[in-house]
Amino acid sequence: MIDDKSKDLENFDNLPGFKRGNPTYFENEVIDHLIDITLELGAELWVVKDRLAHLEEILSNENKVSLNSLDNDKPSEELQKKLNNERIQLIKRIYGRLYSKYGGESADEKSAI
Amino acid sequence: MTTNKAIYIRGKTAGVFPSLSSRRDEAYVGFIEDARNVLLHAQQKPLSEYCRHMIKDAGKTLNSDQKNTAEAKDLLMKDNVLKTYYRVKRTLQESFWECLRNSFDMRKNDLLQALDDAESIGPGSVEYSSEFLTPEYANTEIHIQPGGNVNEPLSGFLYDYGAKVFMGGAADNDMLSDMQASTVAVPKDGKVKRILDLGCSAGVTTTAMKRIYPDAEIWGIDFSSHMVRYAHARAIENNYDINFKQMLAEDLNFEDNNFDIIVANLLFHEVPVSVSKKILSETLRVLRPGGSFTLIDFPGDKNGDVYGMFFGEMDAADNGEPFLPGFVRSNVEDIMKETGFEMEVYDPSKSLLAGRIGYKPIN
Repeated sequence: MIDDKSKDLENFDNLPGFKRGNPTYFENEVIDHLIDITLELGAELWVVKDRLAHLEEILSNENKVSLNSLDNDKPSEELQKKLNNERIQLIKRIYGRLYSKYGGESADEKSAI
Repeated sequence: MTTNKAIYIRGKTAGVFPSLSSRRDEAYVGFIEDARNVLLHAQQKPLSEYCRHMIKDAGKTLNSDQKNTAEAKDLLMKDNVLKTYYRVKRTLQESFWECLRNSFDMRKNDLLQALDDAESIGPGSVEYSSEFLTPEYANTEIHIQPGGNVNEPLSGFLYDYGAKVFMGGAADNDMLSDMQASTVAVPKDGKVKRILDLGCSAGVTTTAMKRIYPDAEIWGIDFSSHMVRYAHARAIENNYDINFKQMLAEDLNFEDNNFDIIVANLLFHEVPVSVSKKILSETLRVLRPGGSFTLIDFPGDKNGDVYGMFFGEMDAADNGEPFLPGFVRSNVEDIMKETGFEMEVYDPSKSLLAGRIGYKPIN
């Protein structure tokens, strides 16, 4: 249940971000869509690469594979480590140039906190 | 615990998070997490320098007042690098939420049943009510999380795994919350029997406090029934005796002078300043004389410049953080002092790891 009495707290309905919008950042929204598309393609490319690597590992170890094991099992720790590294390199290689204006592609990727 | 079997049916990711429903989803979200690290987090330092230069080159000051911030926003968002950064940020945010929601929805009934089953199991407890009055501000879709914490029954799962992605791995194995909890102030007499975590969300800070004070009675409160249900299930998975209860931090249903330690981790920037003031009054009331209150959150604008405010305002608009700019401008340590806390010296450069600390005066 929503407490309507709390509405008088502040005029927060008008604050930015309270209601979900669909922001675009470029005057030509096609550029927004193209960036969307390239990121989605990158993610889906990675899904395929990950699945192929996982498949190869299962085949090389057991010589048999099932959809269930591909969907639910996890790769070995060794392969996962290799994939983690490969994924970062892929992202840097494809998207790092987006920020080449200030050399951002060489930044340390673990500086979040 | 057998009750949680459905939650952890594919095991855990990064030590603590219920694994997603398929390997495909893990790969997808792994890509998004790394893309966020490489394309967003890692760019923060060079991007902030780039922006500050642009502001100075335009003959403007780094003053963070509202007029200057609005002008800086107009200036910076004409730049194609900034437009790209914020487009990438928004797209990655939308992508991982969509994937997480679809992934957990695949086993929604099983997950909700597991939360139901967990309610009757200890240690600890969970309490909530369908009659609970939720303030409208709580409907915010923080971080543009679908349904926010209040209107999506699986919000605990979404928020918890979302924090893993959002924090870029810093939340893995509860590392960040353990670091934050280790900085929570102890009462000056060192006596700790009861601890309260305000706005406990998925119960991550609450459990981190339990690891430090295993013998203390610990409470986690949150306005979302879905979050306290998830927090309880997460806690019993590790056999932690914690009481979770649906409650408003601005209307605490506890007696005066009840707690030795109270902590609020990243709560205050998610509520209006008017609510912050009520929370601080309530916190002081239920804290016992000499007890400590640690408020971990972003620094105020008196310690920042126009770039920090610009970043906060962009986050407010595009990342579902409507109350963040107001919080930053409120310089909450000043409000704590006005409320009656005895304040310790505060280091804003460590804001997310070491909070503002206040004590309830003994006399």
